Amino acid sequence: MSKEISVRQICFIMLVYTAVSKFIFYPCELSFGSGRDLLFAAATDFLIQGIIIWAVSYLCSRTDKTFFELIEGTLGNITARIIYGFFALFFILCTVVPLFEQKLYVQDIFYDTVPSLTVFLPFFIFSIYAASKNFRNIGRSADICMPLFFVSMLLIFSMSLFEVEWDAFLPILKTPLKSVFGGSLTTAFRFFEPCWLLMFMGHFKYKEGDAAKITLSYAGGAAFVLTVLLIFHGVYGGAAATRQFAISKISLFFPAIDVIGRIDLISLYVLEVVMIFALVINIQLAVHCLVKCTGYDNRPVFSLIVNGLLILVIVLFNNNLSTIHKMWSNWFWIATLVFANIIPLAAWGLRRRTEQ
Amino acid sequence: MIKSKYSVLIYWAMIIAMLGLFFTNDFGLVDIHKTSVVVAVGIDTEGEEVILTAQVAVPQPSQSGDNIQYTEVQGRGLTIADCLNEINSKTGFYPKLLSCKLILLGEECKSEELFRVLGCFYRRNYSELTAQVAMCKGKASDMLSMPATISPENSTAMQRALSEELKKSANVSSVNLKDIAFSNYSVSEACYMPFIEANIQGTSAGGGNGDHVGGDKPQQGDSGGQSGQSGGSSGSSGGSSEGSGGGQSGQSGQSGGSSGSSGGGQSGGQPVEFTARKTAVFSGGKFAGILDESQSFALNLIKNDIRLAVVPCDTEDEVHYTIGLKQAGGGIKLKVNDGVPELTVSFKAKAQIQGAKKVMQPDSVKYDDSLKPEVLKAVNDEVISRLQQLISFCAENNCDVLGVKQLLHKFNYKYFEAFEKDLLTRMSVNYKVDIKSLN
Amino acid sequence: MDTMFMVTLEKNIKSVKDVLTSQDIIVFEFNSQEGKKFAAVYADGLADKQLLGELVVKPLKTARENCSLEEAKGILASPEVKDGKKIKDAVNEISDGNVVLFVDGEKDFLIIGLKNPPGRSVAEPPTQVTIKGPREGFIEDIKVNLGLVRKRLKSENLKVKMLKSGKRSETAVALIYLDGVCPEGLPERIEKQLAANEIDIVPDSSYISQFISKKPRSVFKRNGTAEKPDIFCAKLCEGRVGLIVDGSPIAVTVPYMIVEDIQAGEDYYTMSYRSTIIRIMRVAALFIGLLLPALYVAAQLFKIQIIPFQLLLKISSSVSGLPLSPSVEMFLTLLVLEILNEASIRMPKYVGLALSVVGALVLGDTAVKAGVISTPAIIIIAFSAICLYTTPDLVETTTTLRWIFLIIAGSIGTFGIPLFVAYLICYLVTEQSYGVPLLAPFAPLVKNDLYDSMVKANMYSLEARPQAFGLKNKVRLKNK
Repeated sequence: MSKEISVRQICFIMLVYTAVSKFIFYPCELSFGSGRDLLFAAATDFLIQGIIIWAVSYLCSRTDKTFFELIEGTLGNITARIIYGFFALFFILCTVVPLFEQKLYVQDIFYDTVPSLTVFLPFFIFSIYAASKNFRNIGRSADICMPLFFVSMLLIFSMSLFEVEWDAFLPILKTPLKSVFGGSLTTAFRFFEPCWLLMFMGHFKYKEGDAAKITLSYAGGAAFVLTVLLIFHGVYGGAAATRQFAISKISLFFPAIDVIGRIDLISLYVLEVVMIFALVINIQLAVHCLVKCTGYDNRPVFSLIVNGLLILVIVLFNNNLSTIHKMWSNWFWIATLVFANIIPLAAWGLRRRTEQ
Repeated sequence: MIKSKYSVLIYWAMIIAMLGLFFTNDFGLVDIHKTSVVVAVGIDTEGEEVILTAQVAVPQPSQSGDNIQYTEVQGRGLTIADCLNEINSKTGFYPKLLSCKLILLGEECKSEELFRVLGCFYRRNYSELTAQVAMCKGKASDMLSMPATISPENSTAMQRALSEELKKSANVSSVNLKDIAFSNYSVSEACYMPFIEANIQGTSAGGGNGDHVGGDKPQQGDSGGQSGQSGGSSGSSGGSSEGSGGGQSGQSGQSGGSSGSSGGGQSGGQPVEFTARKTAVFSGGKFAGILDESQSFALNLIKNDIRLAVVPCDTEDEVHYTIGLKQAGGGIKLKVNDGVPELTVSFKAKAQIQGAKKVMQPDSVKYDDSLKPEVLKAVNDEVISRLQQLISFCAENNCDVLGVKQLLHKFNYKYFEAFEKDLLTRMSVNYKVDIKSLN
Repeated sequence: MDTMFMVTLEKNIKSVKDVLTSQDIIVFEFNSQEGKKFAAVYADGLADKQLLGELVVKPLKTARENCSLEEAKGILASPEVKDGKKIKDAVNEISDGNVVLFVDGEKDFLIIGLKNPPGRSVAEPPTQVTIKGPREGFIEDIKVNLGLVRKRLKSENLKVKMLKSGKRSETAVALIYLDGVCPEGLPERIEKQLAANEIDIVPDSSYISQFISKKPRSVFKRNGTAEKPDIFCAKLCEGRVGLIVDGSPIAVTVPYMIVEDIQAGEDYYTMSYRSTIIRIMRVAALFIGLLLPALYVAAQLFKIQIIPFQLLLKISSSVSGLPLSPSVEMFLTLLVLEILNEASIRMPKYVGLALSVVGALVLGDTAVKAGVISTPAIIIIAFSAICLYTTPDLVETTTTLRWIFLIIAGSIGTFGIPLFVAYLICYLVTEQSYGVPLLAPFAPLVKNDLYDSMVKANMYSLEARPQAFGLKNKVRLKNK
């Protein structure tokens, strides 16, 4: 099988897409759940996922097979197809909350007054196109997203550091542990990155030390998220829980903005390009899973189906983010636990049985 | 080939749809033609109702783009959003608050919960958190309609009175909407904002340039919350003085010796100057009082980065000096020793004589322009005195505007529950003021 | 038509005249002093008559009565003489400007290279002007162009393969590459691709460019161009294959990467710091030119906040009272720019000058005074146009994309801009030109090639040829 994606590109995905997918509602959600100790709550989630990512990437060093081939070799083709079908569903469901958040974020940073849903729908034109592309496209897009991400984050960070109150996190760990880990749990549904790696398994050429590179890249992504959380809470303190769209709110207070206007918006618009790709990756993987599940290699058709479903969801529940969010934070973490934590670890067992 | 044929069809369909949208382009959005750019808003209350006065920039057709006129539009309702809605229906323009740089609260807002009036601005993502917030003497609507001496639109003049430069000279305690929310939602539950007064050109509410000190002693007003109201007395020249200075019956402490034809709507069409050397403070979301100039100065020394503050002082031989304080840095620290909270208020600066009320003989001026010990002592005493006034105001009104409770919470958390309620009255205060000669 | 010639001179001449019936085909018959008959056939205006006299007629005057073709060939003073057998070859050579010499009693003929078609002399191309660096540019004569290349690349590995394109024009196309440097099999692939297209006439290299492009419908081109031999040779040394087309001063090069249009010849002749700054400026200008009109429209319609407050007041004052919506205003202004641009190119030089004045001063100023369009719109469009011309090789693409961005910004709004950028990235990352990704060295990331992309590193950092091409011969510079 031709290697469609490189380890470098996977590292970029782990770093960049992990970070940008947690810049919108996650900080205020975590601030609401865990208060000042939001960094601990976030670090807990990242640590768990980091271990699983290391486990999956280490597994890649032991086998050249794709995840599908691993299941197929152990449990048979039908089971592999069924599991991939479930993964497709999981990826679609993973996209729902980020999609709603992205819609609101777009309406906030790109429009002055509340526009209708129509302005966001063209996203699906892009999504249909992008989801019909293969892993090579995903990887190379990440190559482009990486410098865009770095430049925009550098600008945003440098504009926001002026306003940070560094002691806003004190006293440390005085929030009840129940709240801290409650925050971790309610936001756990956002941590599905090990599934990405599971899907890339076997599609890249593993070299020695790549597991460490991938895990460190994920840690790099986590570091970016934690820095944003640090700045966000440092800027807004106790009022952080009421501020949505964290990334667009931290650089507002840069002194030069008064004189030269909202230059931070330029960085945010560049970052938006990256966010679009980060949002689409789940849809691309859902399409990949459907192709594997059905054995019918027609990505454009599946892309249409998946995006059609998502359009339906976003139109039907246009103004019901809170309901959806509640459902996802209360229940979807279970699915995340299974698909992003248990199954990736179980893949080790599949490998052993395949070897036997 | 078939795929290519379909993709060409899809592209054409998209282009046609886009062109259709392009030439009709209406998602019910508000473009530049339909927008009024609100540069400042004033908020007054009248019973249950809120009155919002928006100062709107009305562009006039001009090739060079220099022709801007400003007008005030009012809306009223139970909430700020109601007011905006009414403005919209009155003018046909949708008021965009994104360029609103100043939120001015009328004096009557004292009786309201602060975030009843500011909440809408804070919550809405369509107004900026960088907007400066201030309270004014009298009605905000009157204040916004007064002609200013230094700028054609008075909101700009007011913003100049709240400028960063003045903040760095400890003259104004400027804050923005975010700062207020940050402080208000902290454990201290207290915040402050500058208090703007309008003075007819040539007069001054505060005696000018910090020389007038000692007159504005904070005293508890009858109303319980309005202490320290001082400065130029209001109601001297008619106008709509109700509810401003004149409305504050029972207020004590109006000992200011300055001329005082200030206050809302009292300019009678004459250009006015705006000063904001006093500070309105809030505790638990409610108005707690007004810091006079000395107290505001002390607050700024502690809270802000000071570049050059000017402080007047009198030496024992009754010579009046104006001293410039450079390289200044102030702050507070809280320790709990033997179950007693101890607040240390520190301030360091380098001093330089800016002026003296006597003729300095050349032989009396040191070659390096250094300060004599008696002058240094006088300025030290003056700063300590101002800091003391501020701390006692905070203790008397249980208004933690300095954030002492936050210090307790952050660095002495185990005592927090014990001292949370009466910290400001229980704590002992040390003043470490270290002012040295610049040269 | 491929019949052999008859032996008598008259019959041979008749055979040619039967095919080339035009009156500009001249038959010049002459005899040697001993009475041997010769006939030179050439196209009037294409062959050099003076050289014909000196190098052909004058020597042949000494020919013996029974002089053979081989003998005549030996007598001729012309350095470029070859044999011909078929009438088709004779016709082609005559059409090409060469002289065909018939010898009485011989069935074959001689082709004498005396082509001297009218054309301009070597000059600096108007779009690649340099302050430092060579100023020679390609012209319309393929031989001159090949000479300019050979003058710079004296390597025995420089291979030139002459091809013909155009069913009727039979245009000469030179396929040029450095053997051992260019990717294996690439010249053959290009030749095959070229041969797969049959067209009447190839008037310019842009035709060839489209023939060898795998996706001719795309907004993005798939071939590079060079108008100067120094740039052309540098590209050959990087492993590219070049195509010089007779009648065109623009050479085509493949494989192509978008980044090469951001580079300019002069970048390599100046300090690397300066070149880097200029390249970054070019990229910035490219994006400004592409996005500024769209952002301006989107800002006015959907996100006023983008505009600094004081500027906003000025703009709102300028647009106040305009009868057109911001999007239509910008659309019309851009349309006027495109029309003026087109007209000023097509018009005769002096009328064009007047037209620029009319367009820029009269039309613009009057439109603003009449309140039809605003001053900021004109400034934005003018600045955008200037910015796009900092990368002249990309102008066709960028001006098209500018329209698309404008329409998207005016319809979807500000969000449309990053969305379309994302679409372009998604489209471009997997697009290739003969196996080389268009976005290389950025996607896929090729670390080595980054030294000559947005930045231009010093000469010693450019020791390797572009790795995106997958070359075997990687070393370009050895510092001994």
